[in-house]
Amino acid sequence: MEARIPFLEVSDAIIYSGAETLYWCMQCGLCTGTCPYRLVPGPASEEFNIRLVQHLGQLGLEGFESENCLFACTTCRACVDVCPRGVEIINNVVGMRRMLAEVGTIPPSLKTIAGSLHSQGNPWSGPRDQRTAWIKDVEIPTFSEQTEYFLFVCCTSCFDARSQNIARSVAKALTAAGISFGIIGNEESCCGETIRKVGDEQLFQNLAQANIQLYNGKGVKKIIVTSPHCLYTFKNEYPEFGGEWEVFHYSEILASALSEGKLKLSGSNAGAVTFHDPCYLGRHTKLYDPPRELLRNLPGAELMELARTKNKSVCCQGGGGRVWMETAAGERFAELRIHEAVASGAKTLVTACPYCITMLEDSLKVLGKQDELAVKELSELVAERT
Amino acid sequence: MSDAQRKVLVVGGGISGMTTAIEATEAGAEVVIVERNPYLGGRVVQLNQYFPKLCPPACGLEINFRRIKQSAGVTAYTLAQVTSIAGAAGGYDVTITVQPRYVNDNCTGCGKCAEVCETEIPDPLNFGMNTVKAAYLPHPMAYPFKYVLDPSIIGTDEAKKCKEACPYNAIDLEMQPTTVSLQVGAVVWATGWDPYDATKVDYLGFGSLPDVITSVMFERLAAPTGPTGGKILRPSDGKEVRSVAFVQCAGSRDENHLPYCSGVCCLASLKQASYIRERNPDSKAFIFYIDVRAMGKYEDFYTKIEQDENVTLTKSKIARVSKDPETGSPLVEGEDISQGAKVKQTVDLVVLAVGMAPGTASVKPDLEMGYDDFGFVTSPGDSGIVPAGCVKAPMEVAASIQDATGAALKAIHRTLGR
Amino acid sequence: MDQKIGVYICSGCGIGESIDLDALSAVADEEFQPAKRVVHPAFCGEEGAGLIRSDVDAGDINTVVVAACSGRVKTDVFVFDPMTTILERVNIREHVAWCQPAGEDDTRMLAEDYLRMGIIRAQKTKLPAPYQEEIDKTILVVGGGAAGLQAANDAAAAGYSVLLVEKEPEMGGHMAKWNKSSPTKPPYQELEEITINELIDQAKADERITIFTSATIEKIAGAPGMFDVTLNNGGGTHRVGAIVLAAGWKPYDATKLERFSYGTLPDVITSVQMEEMAKAGKITCPSDGSEPSVVAFIQCAGSRDADHLPYCSAVCCRASLKQSVYVKEQNPENKVFIFYKDIRTPEQSEEFYKKVQKDGTVFIKTDTAQIAIGQGSERKLSIEAVDQLMGEPVLVEADLVVLAVGMQPAVLDDPILNLQYRQGPALPELKYGFPDSHFICFPYETRRTGIYTAGCVRQPMMSSRAGSDGTGAALKAIQAVELTAKGKAVHPRAGDVSYPELFLQRCTQCKRCTEECPFGMYNEDEKGTPLPHPTRCRRCAICMGSCPERIISFSNYSVDMIGSMIKGINVPDEYEEKPRIVGLICENDSYPGLDMVGLRKLQYAPWVRFIPLRCLGSVNLVWIADALSKGIDGILLFGCRYGDDYQCHFVHGSELANTRMTKIQETLDRLMLESDRIRLEQMAIDDYEKIPKIIEEFTARLQELGPNPYKGF
Repeated sequence: MEARIPFLEVSDAIIYSGAETLYWCMQCGLCTGTCPYRLVPGPASEEFNIRLVQHLGQLGLEGFESENCLFACTTCRACVDVCPRGVEIINNVVGMRRMLAEVGTIPPSLKTIAGSLHSQGNPWSGPRDQRTAWIKDVEIPTFSEQTEYFLFVCCTSCFDARSQNIARSVAKALTAAGISFGIIGNEESCCGETIRKVGDEQLFQNLAQANIQLYNGKGVKKIIVTSPHCLYTFKNEYPEFGGEWEVFHYSEILASALSEGKLKLSGSNAGAVTFHDPCYLGRHTKLYDPPRELLRNLPGAELMELARTKNKSVCCQGGGGRVWMETAAGERFAELRIHEAVASGAKTLVTACPYCITMLEDSLKVLGKQDELAVKELSELVAERT
Repeated sequence: MSDAQRKVLVVGGGISGMTTAIEATEAGAEVVIVERNPYLGGRVVQLNQYFPKLCPPACGLEINFRRIKQSAGVTAYTLAQVTSIAGAAGGYDVTITVQPRYVNDNCTGCGKCAEVCETEIPDPLNFGMNTVKAAYLPHPMAYPFKYVLDPSIIGTDEAKKCKEACPYNAIDLEMQPTTVSLQVGAVVWATGWDPYDATKVDYLGFGSLPDVITSVMFERLAAPTGPTGGKILRPSDGKEVRSVAFVQCAGSRDENHLPYCSGVCCLASLKQASYIRERNPDSKAFIFYIDVRAMGKYEDFYTKIEQDENVTLTKSKIARVSKDPETGSPLVEGEDISQGAKVKQTVDLVVLAVGMAPGTASVKPDLEMGYDDFGFVTSPGDSGIVPAGCVKAPMEVAASIQDATGAALKAIHRTLGR
Repeated sequence: MDQKIGVYICSGCGIGESIDLDALSAVADEEFQPAKRVVHPAFCGEEGAGLIRSDVDAGDINTVVVAACSGRVKTDVFVFDPMTTILERVNIREHVAWCQPAGEDDTRMLAEDYLRMGIIRAQKTKLPAPYQEEIDKTILVVGGGAAGLQAANDAAAAGYSVLLVEKEPEMGGHMAKWNKSSPTKPPYQELEEITINELIDQAKADERITIFTSATIEKIAGAPGMFDVTLNNGGGTHRVGAIVLAAGWKPYDATKLERFSYGTLPDVITSVQMEEMAKAGKITCPSDGSEPSVVAFIQCAGSRDADHLPYCSAVCCRASLKQSVYVKEQNPENKVFIFYKDIRTPEQSEEFYKKVQKDGTVFIKTDTAQIAIGQGSERKLSIEAVDQLMGEPVLVEADLVVLAVGMQPAVLDDPILNLQYRQGPALPELKYGFPDSHFICFPYETRRTGIYTAGCVRQPMMSSRAGSDGTGAALKAIQAVELTAKGKAVHPRAGDVSYPELFLQRCTQCKRCTEECPFGMYNEDEKGTPLPHPTRCRRCAICMGSCPERIISFSNYSVDMIGSMIKGINVPDEYEEKPRIVGLICENDSYPGLDMVGLRKLQYAPWVRFIPLRCLGSVNLVWIADALSKGIDGILLFGCRYGDDYQCHFVHGSELANTRMTKIQETLDRLMLESDRIRLEQMAIDDYEKIPKIIEEFTARLQELGPNPYKGF
């Protein structure tokens, strides 16, 4: 085997791109062992070794660039949570992706996404002027100085037909709870969370700046989001660029409305439900209780926990750009979750993230378990009972 | 200088405290030991063997107990804790509270009380892996050689039965906590360590899987005085254990738990691998580590164990211990780093090499001592308080004793006003 | 002393129910006619203990024989002035009543024999007369480095005079040549200034410390309390009481590491050179004086390598971490590679490892012994290694390579102390030249009484630990002079005031005692006659066992004593089918083991009479001959494990006993007896569960052999 020659200038560049904790890693392998790819078969499972990726990074060596390696990472944070050295593994992944993004060597499917974000402000190639098409026949207030909350709807729920129901459900539930909220409209752009994880930093910053300018111009102080991904970036990443608001996931708002008695739930029995913690709501934001509060209070609901729950939840595989990439059936994390949900005895698998819904519903169909299990967004269950 | 000023108080009667006390006494000092257990010896009493010689701790303890017995210079209070210390080097006023043992010095160790006692309590020596009569001798070589009545039976007929059974009037059910006041010139703080709570490392299965135990529990399983008489049987079904996975750094070297290295666990696991190997020629031991830390001549021990082909050492920080759905045995998973492969090993028993947390991590005495972020005692400067052993850093037995010997001289200095 | 024996037989703890005490009393009365003989239900109680005490106080008795529980318990009750009163504990509780069926004849006979042996032991015991000479309490400290200075200062602070001998013109040892030390204080991340000068100043300022620099030791004659230390170059002869050897370490010779091209490529240097360069102010490449921008450290350069130093030198990982900080401090743009087998940063120093990682040092795990270093193409040097973290070879180019060389003890090829001992001038080493202790529980134990080692001469260690090691060794030296002054033994028989006395008129100069003493107690004159140095003695009595002429004895332990005890055993004739076995056992481990057998109420055959010995090495072959010629059917010996991991606290007592037993074949042949009648078992203190089985097997074997034909002779 020919000896490989470390190239530390590359390592420096990776660190400069954001992998600041690259050298904190002591190569114990806990990340690789914890990674959900160990739970499934397939090329990504075999190629994507996050410990090794970081070691290659430390040495400035190539060999991690493929779609099934560096771009396999879903940024689920399972490894970061347990890392004994406090390595910001996601940042290291993103740093390495940025290096590649700068020279344009990102997977082709992601290039299309970037193109759409550039031109339309959303990743789904949806025309910008159709951003509010999800509203259909519902009445949604427009945000003004008098509105308390600006409701930001995730691009996925703006453009994806299935996902639009989430947006409508959130709006309906908020209305029922008497929350003062409003949308801005077609000028809104994608939050940029996921494209940033993919490595296109410039694009993210463009989107962020556009949004910040828009929201600040409108006098936004508090934001309700429909997706935990938007929640994460608004909360943690926007302040650096001047976007400093109070940001809430809709489940937080609804759960407190419920406890204050402003939101009343009635109607059909929810039955046996179980909750899949979205990575960005759970591990990334540590919100485990509000969704469960809502579920417990649904009429006739019995909440069962999945075998791997809360901080041990297994990713749906939609984060980090994977929602835009193809994973072969039989290799999907979401399949694990479907099996787990069936095993839990629940009839409805509930989650609170549009990516999770996409991934879980796909797998439900692939596995043909529709008769045993339904997949629902939390907002849908709530809205149906307001 | 008064006699009181010359006296040394040693808090903690484990191997460090005992050593300090004995060594100081043999150099001419007078020493008082305060120990919270009903016996001296601390954690080494619970060990089966020491590395690297694989010799029983009782051997050295026997010598040390004999040194205490033949010396007039050591007074030991067991079931005792220091409640206050006031003063400065050369003159401390100390208050000690002694909990009732309900057994007085008349006890001959004849065991009549235990014979009649029917109540059983979880055996504190064996981490509750078995039960013991509520009137019990803490262990067969216990010093002082006296029975103890568990407080839970005081006020019951059981206790009365024990009292009536004793031919020597050794049981005193009216015993109350007593307070002892004394003056000393120096204080040695040697309150040792506690095993890290392994349930906090939640992905390793301790507390949820019965066949995942800690390294300190495994010592008891292997010990002739342990819950199984030294037979290594697994907790779930009592079957002979033929394969063991040792999971290193269960808590140690981890910023989510104990950021420091506990120093002794690599060698302890190598030693424990020998326990299982010695009992059955077909048995297998798997050790999963980040780095093998066998300092100095301990390397020889590592080399020796490593040469056994039924002992496998794998560089891997174990990520998951779960129940193997097929066998019901624990399944250990992680990355096999050197082979670029997965670790997927089903074993009869998983032993978590739990880290050492200093006794001062949970309770920090209000004394002239500094603490680091982990609760270890840092240099106390010129005060009359001298730390010794594992309250300063994780140490193996030999290092603790070495440190405790030095502490004896430092304490003598303090009594001399230096 | 005119012995007045009192025999006190306890009937408590089940003894009375188990043993016919009238019969036992009759044995005492009829065979020994003691001045007093009392049976009481609890001699450990106030009343019983009072009885004995009043007999002693009244002068009615001066020799107390208590037949009751084990001598290991109730030691606070049965305590008399050892200078005026002889005490013998006969264990008829754990060793009879608790391990034998109650009321049986055999049980009674066992108790009777124990009582006979106990009374005989008491009769053969003389009051001690401690060996006390004019002694000097000065402590000699050899080596003025971190350990030696600390030992000297701490001994002086306790009020002792100290002689400090340093071979270099200046004190401070290796540390004085260092740039910085690795972190010892929270948060364990910052390098620390070298503070050895404070210790040097303290030593210089202390009038109790006399310092000799540029001095070496020509010879040391004498014994603890009375060592005569002669220095070179007319430094004179000085009397001291005890010695701390803190001579430190030397780096492993890097030229032996051919793969690393040390000595051929100028830019391959050792960690010692690196440290000196850093202290001088600038790290440069020796070849051209340029500043290196890439530096590689090779860990375990010689250490952990069967072809070089098989052990880990313990400090090198931290030393390289420290030196990597120097490199980064010189220029933050510099790159550092560390090639390692395992990073060994125990305890809080893990924090330092983290800090260095965070500085951007690159760590490559590899079998460093397989690294090849050669000339580089872009930089001065190339390093080829297999990166085990990715399973592929790497080629790193660097300007400077630092070999983290291992530590060897300074005494490796120079005895330094030059002891005038028959067994040689050096402190016996344990392994790899380190005169370390073999004992986990007693890390300061050495085989030369009154001489203790500290710091890196003892084992590889960090400088911070070397200091505290010096403190501990100083304490042991203080103990040695204090106990010696009182005529007392040091560890492990601390406080023993007996010592070997020799009847030299009968000595045949066979030299066994002088050779076999584990502690080098005996010198020899020209003819080979032993010259005892009692303050070197640890009272193990191995010499007593070694002497074919039986001329060595202690006031309370002798060949005659144990021989008489064996002769005191009542041997039934062969037709009774009651075999008799003598068990000679180590008192520290096997005797407590037998107590455990009793405590756990395990039962064993009633044929064995156990006699506790100071050490199995004190077994004199005449005892075996005496026993066999008396009709004893077999001899069991329980001693500590021997071999590399020996557990004997007198080093090789049990092993010597084993050797002697193989030599006894001659005697057996003469008596026409089978060698199977003697069995030696290695027995740890916690092996007690095995005892009943061993006795059972041995008895069965003796039954096969048939009774000893000498019965009744």
